[in-house]
Formats: sequence, structure tokens, C-alpha cells
Amino acid sequence: MNKRLNEIFKVALVVLALAVVLTACAPAATPTSAPVPTKAPAATSAPTTASSQPVAAATTAPTVVPTKASVPPTTVATEKPVDLELWAQPSVTEQGPPPADWIAYKIVREKLNINLKVVLTPTGADGEAKYNAAAAANSLPDIMQMVSASQDNRGTMVRLQKLGLLGPVTTLLPLMPERVKTHYDDPQRMKMGQVGGVQYGLVEPPPIPKREGYVIRKDWLDKLGLKPPTTLDEMFEIAKAFTEKDPDGNGKNDTYGVGGFINGVGLGDRFDFIMGGYDVPGLWDLRDPGKIQLNVRDPNYPKALAFFNKLVTAKVIDPDWPTLKRDDFRAKWKQGKFGIMWEDFSALASPSNYVTFDKNFPDGEFVALPAPKGPDGKAWYRVDTSLSTIWAVSKKAIDAGKGPAIARFLEWTATKEGYYLLGFGEEGKQYKFDKDGNIVFDGLDPKQVWTAPESQMYTQLRNNLIFTNTPQELKVRYPAYTSVKGRTVDQVQFLKFFQSQPWVAGAHLQVINPHPKAADFNRYYNENIIQFALGQKPLNDQTWADFLKGLDGIGAKDWETNAKKDLTDAGFMK
Amino acid sequence: MSQFMSAATTRVGRAQRSAHSSGGFSKRVRQLGLAMWKHRWIYLITAPTLLYYLVFKYIPLYNAQIAFKEFQPLLGIEGSPWVGLQNLEGFLNSIYFGQLMTNTIFFSGARLVLGMPIAIVLALMLHETRFAFFRNVVQTITYLPHFLSWVIMFGILLMLLSPSDGLVNEIIKSFGGEPIAFLTTPNWFRQIVIGSDIWKETGWSTILYLAALLSISPELYEAAAVDGASRLQRIWNISLPGILPVIVLVTLLRLGNILQGGFTQIFVLYSLPVYSVGDIIDTWVYRSGILDFQFSLATAVGLFKGVIGLTLIMVSNQLAKRFAGRNLY
Repeated sequence: MNKRLNEIFKVALVVLALAVVLTACAPAATPTSAPVPTKAPAATSAPTTASSQPVAAATTAPTVVPTKASVPPTTVATEKPVDLELWAQPSVTEQGPPPADWIAYKIVREKLNINLKVVLTPTGADGEAKYNAAAAANSLPDIMQMVSASQDNRGTMVRLQKLGLLGPVTTLLPLMPERVKTHYDDPQRMKMGQVGGVQYGLVEPPPIPKREGYVIRKDWLDKLGLKPPTTLDEMFEIAKAFTEKDPDGNGKNDTYGVGGFINGVGLGDRFDFIMGGYDVPGLWDLRDPGKIQLNVRDPNYPKALAFFNKLVTAKVIDPDWPTLKRDDFRAKWKQGKFGIMWEDFSALASPSNYVTFDKNFPDGEFVALPAPKGPDGKAWYRVDTSLSTIWAVSKKAIDAGKGPAIARFLEWTATKEGYYLLGFGEEGKQYKFDKDGNIVFDGLDPKQVWTAPESQMYTQLRNNLIFTNTPQELKVRYPAYTSVKGRTVDQVQFLKFFQSQPWVAGAHLQVINPHPKAADFNRYYNENIIQFALGQKPLNDQTWADFLKGLDGIGAKDWETNAKKDLTDAGFMK
Repeated sequence: MSQFMSAATTRVGRAQRSAHSSGGFSKRVRQLGLAMWKHRWIYLITAPTLLYYLVFKYIPLYNAQIAFKEFQPLLGIEGSPWVGLQNLEGFLNSIYFGQLMTNTIFFSGARLVLGMPIAIVLALMLHETRFAFFRNVVQTITYLPHFLSWVIMFGILLMLLSPSDGLVNEIIKSFGGEPIAFLTTPNWFRQIVIGSDIWKETGWSTILYLAALLSISPELYEAAAVDGASRLQRIWNISLPGILPVIVLVTLLRLGNILQGGFTQIFVLYSLPVYSVGDIIDTWVYRSGILDFQFSLATAVGLFKGVIGLTLIMVSNQLAKRFAGRNLY
């Protein structure tokens, strides 16, 4: 008897263990799929959405019925709603996606007969990895924003197109005249969305071009009795003074002249204002309109690196620059670690970013500086690549006949209703108009207004799909305010100054296809440039010639030839 | 747990084979069935583990065929065209191949040669401690870093080692020295990687050795003490031989992973100035395979690593059998 009990106990134990394992493996399908048979239109949406998110199930189910009993049956009778899944980068990364009961979902369903589902993807390399994984499984969404870790949205689009995963959008454009007028009106820019002459990408107006610039701590200059630098040599002297003469007056030797981090190829675009003084900003040399080659071939390039190396060896640049990430860098200037840097106007001066700096240094003040002149009097701020957001449509969606629905949705986003709803939220709740037509928030519940964190999930699509940089937008997005000590901080003034500086026009560089062995090439290029800059490798004629020789050894010449071909094919070069 | 059970089943299987090796095929199958029925509970309990390996390790092997294909998502795994060894050649022909191999083997070799003895010494020291309270405190403190992710470790290391305001450099500066950019200087990067790995993992890896030490019969120590053996002699003649099988086992398993340079750690810690001493196979595969969308290449390199690991395990298993008299299987 005892033995038998023992066996029963063993069986129970094993069954329990197996049950745990199996429940962990099984998809949680049963509860969500149960209501499907009761309502016909939900049937189409169930397979695509049920497993990942209950959004479609929740919105198609009873919520519609009590508000307007007559509408859903008629749409059901005439035509099944089209399911559209849209992948976008969030406008506010720390906020979530729009909730299932978002009013825009309801309007889009009732007016356009579309079951929309917005999925916010991670940014940068994580986002690209998500796209690649979805591409590998052939499960890209219907409409998606191209994401790139290396700020090469077009590169991502071309790659997905080469894999045959994108559908052409040529036939969609005539279906959305208003959207074309407000967003896709620049033929030169639209070329960025073409592969082999066929339009695959919808290229948005660049979201605030030329928005970064060269700034300096004015309070430090004043304390040391120095004048703002106009040349690189003056900048060096001021950086030296900022490092050695205790500009913050705290009695400690804890400041540096220059601060920054690597963002992009070589030393990255954050130090391009230095390379600009030597006439070699960016990766490509574009000075001769009929020719394109790598900037490192210019004899001025090693001179620019030598100047950079001077900053390093004189210890006037924050030595953490090769390892810092963007956020570490931003934390450092807010702690007053350095006085000269390159920064985005909004990251510098928007109230939420400025508040920490303002608290730490109530007398601290940054001012924008013009591009510093090099030894030959040249000066460039940077290359303006004005990265446009590119939207693409999956081949799967086109094949499934969803093209017209996609155009219908995009056209709606360019109507007054869609534009304000997706860009600013509900009128009277998130925003209202004053008598001049400006967007204002007075008298509204501060927890619900457009700027409140609680409301930002409703406008997650605004930056990448909706806004076109109208004066109305800029005014409300980047308002002026007063600092702790009562100074006016006007973000748009920074932006306007930055935009007035000399930028190399380089938006078309996006059409250049990446080097076939990009990983090896990028490493060789970046590693050597940085070693020269840090002085880990001595910089002289011999070492520089060796570097160029090595570059040719891994196909630099071929890449330059192909770059010319890419630019010619896309119509940017003759 | 699972190791114990699979060991038990192999023992059963072995006994079965030696007892009935002379019978015909159908008889042997019948015997095997009977034996399995006899030990059905053990088989049932092992089932989840076996299932895990089947589902997550063996079935995916089928997809490894993309290593020899030019994978295109639209065509699927089976439809993609065969390209032979082209993907592997792409890796072997990389101008960084030699450096990647050297760095990878250096890191995993250093972890083996430096990390393991330190863990063993720590385990012996803990084992010899008389005060249980002290032992527990030390154990807990040394385990702790194991539970921190490398991203957090990077933050801690930056606070310690940053040349502008890191603690270590502040100390160097206060003695009048020049700050050292530990994380971006090729001469220092490897030491930092190995050092931080030992710091993070040593406490955790003592668990195995401690468990082995506790299984040694106390009578042996008592007898040795009566015979007048000193502490060191007892460690040398009782403790170490007692945990030798575990040491051999761990070494063999580590050898099989010799081409795993520790992706997460390197990925978080490395930066351009130290690629020459820090870039390993896995980080290269991440950049060229995942970011440049060459899944076939990444798979080919993965297979390459697997084959080398398997060979090393088999060879070293034979060597262990010959020289240490013990082996893994």
C-alpha cells in the first residue's frame, strides 16, 4: 500500500513538472481568441495581433457598440476593416505607445475603415536589430519608419528592398494629393527614397535641419576676461585657460576646455567643426561637383588631426571623450566639466534639459559661436546630412492589397483633423487655439495638456509622421522661458544662429551604398583616425601614407568609384 | 541536478550494453525497452531536460544550413541558394582574422589560467576558515558582483578608472602621478578586462569547488591530523586530490568554450582606441553579421566556433584520461 502511494506521489510530481514546462511554452492563445467567432470583423485581425498585443481585440470589441450602434454594422456589411500595423520611432522615448482606447484609433476605424495599430520601436542599434530580426522572419509590418544605428535610414531601406521585402509606393502617391503637397513636394529629396529609379520610400521633410552647433560658457569667458574665439588657435588658447585657470572659481583643478564624444565615422560629426577649419569636414570630399573622394586623401586632413592631437596632448580636452556615450557627455556639461562643446540646440536649451545646469550654475550661460577659422581662413560648421525620416511599405502589405488603405491613412494625417489630432492631441484637452491661431495651453488641465508627460503618448507620431516645421510648430515646441536668475533662454535663437552658419550640403550622400565589407572598413578607418588623434600612432608622412595604402587595400578606391556611380544613378552627379 | 540524472541514465545504459552485447538486434531493443520501463521514473524526470535540449539545441541545428547558403528572408531557409564555404571564407579573409583569433583565445585563455586558480585558492581558503560567520560574510561579498550586469559594471569601472574624475586616477593624481586612461589605452585594456572579470566571477565560481571540498570525508583530515600532517600538507594531499575531478571537468568545459571571448563584457567595455587588443570574434560577428544583416556569415562563424570547441573537448578529454586518469565521458 505504501509503495503504491509512493508511485502515485511520483506520478503527480512528474505531471506537475511537465505541466509547468508546457504552460510556459504554450502561447497564451485561448482566452484572447475565444471571442473571435462572435464577431465577424475581428476574425481577420485575430491572427496578426492576438499573440503580440490585445489592441485590436480590445478596440474591435464592445467599446464601439454603446457609442453609436448604427455605424459598426454598416461598415461590417459594406467592407471588412483593413488591419494596418505601423512601426515608428517614438517622439518621446521615455513615454509609451498610445493606449488601446486612443481616440485616433476610433476615428481611423470609423472614418477610414482601418484597424490601426501603432508599435513604437527601440531607437538606434536596438531598433535596427528588431527590424533585422523581423526581416529575417519575413514579418515586417505594413508601414514602417526606417531605423538605422549609423544614421543611415536610406541604407536600411535599400537593404530591405534588396531583400525583396519592400513594395513600391509609386501607385500610392496619386491617392494622397494633400500629403504629397505638404510632405513629398521636393523631388530632389524624394530621390532619396528611390532604388533603381523606383520609388520605395516616402521621404519626409527633414525634422529641423542644422540643429546642432558650437557653444561656449560665456560666464567662464567673462570671469577670465577673455573674448570669444574666432579661430581654432584662439579656441585652443581659451581651452587651455579653461583647463588651467579655474574658470568656475571653486579652487579645484577640475575643469577641461573642450568636451565631446564620438558620434559617427572617424572622430564623428561632433568634432567636425574642427575639421571644418581645415576644409575637411565629414567623410566625403564634395568640393569638386564632378568628383567625389574620401576626405582623408586631402593633405589638409592630417593637419586637422595634428591640431586635434594638440588638444589631446595639451590635456585641454576631457580625456573621457573616446569612451563617453551621449548621456554621459550630457551629464558632464551639466556638471560644468568643460566649457567648449558641440551640442544640439534642444538638448542644450530646452527647459527640461537646461534645468539641471541652471540649478548647478545659476550664473552659467552658454552662447553660440560662429564656425572657427583654420590656418587658411576656412570654416565649416559641419556637413548637413539633414537626415530625413523615410517611411516604407512592406511588399507583403502591397501584395495583400493594402496599398489604398495605407494611402487613405496617410492622406488623412495631412488633413486638418489628422494633423492636429496626431500632432497635438484633442482640441480643448491637450491644446487650444488663441485668437491669432497660435497653439496655447492656458486654462487647460495641466495634467492633460500637450506638454504633460501624461499626454505625450497621444502624440508619439508627431515628430516622424506629422510635423513639417511650420512657424506655428516651432513656436509651441520650443518656447522661450526664464532661468533661475531671470535671464531669458530662447531655444529658437540658438537654432536660428546654428542654421545661419556655413554647412556643407550633403543630404544626397545618403544614396551612397555602404562599403561591401563595412565592418572591416569602418573599423580600419575609425581605429586609425582615433589612434592618430590620441597619439597612439605617431602622425607623420610615412604613417599617413601607410594608413592610406591600407585603406586602398580594403577597397577604398572601389568604394569611391561606386559612390560616384550611386550619386550619378540617383541623379545627383553628372 | 540534470548532470546527476544524465549520469545515472548513462550508467544504466552502459550496464545494459555490457550485459546483453551478444543478443540479436530485436532482443536488444526489447531489453532496452525493459530497462527503460524499469527506470521509467528516472526517464520521466529527465524528460524536461531532454526536451529542452531537443527543442532549443538540436532542432535549431537544422537552420544552421544557412551557414552554407546566401540567406534571403523572402526565399526562406530552404529556398535560399547554396554558396558553399563562401561565408566562412568571408570571415577567414577578413583582414582582422588573425587579430580576432588572438584576442579571443587570449581572453578565454587568461580567464582559464588566471581565473580558475584564484577561484580554487579562494575556495580552499574559505574551506579552511574556522569562523562560519566570517566565511558567510566573505562568500556573500564575493558573490555579489556576479549579479550585476556588465552595463552596470561599466558604470562602476568608469567611476573608478575615468582619467578625468575616476577614483583610481584621483589617487594617482594626489600622489603627483599622471592620470591613466585605463579603458582607452591598449596597454591597459586587457588587464582591465581580465581583472574585472575575475572580480565579478571569482566568488561565484568557488561554489563548485566548495561543494566538492565539503564532500571530502572529514575522517581523512582527522587521520592526517593525528599523523601530524600540517595544514598545507593536508590541503596538498587531501583537499586538492579530492577536488581534482571537478577541476578536470571545469577545465574541459572551459576548453570547449575557448572561442567564446565573453561578448557582453567586451561589447560594453571596448571602444575604438582599443579595438586592436579588444575586438573578439563575437563582437566582429555582431558588427558584420547582425548590424550589416549578414546572418549567413554570423551562422558560419558560429558553426566554425562550435566545430573547434567540439574538437578541443574531444582531444582534451583523451589527454585528461591519459595524464590525469580521469575524463569527462
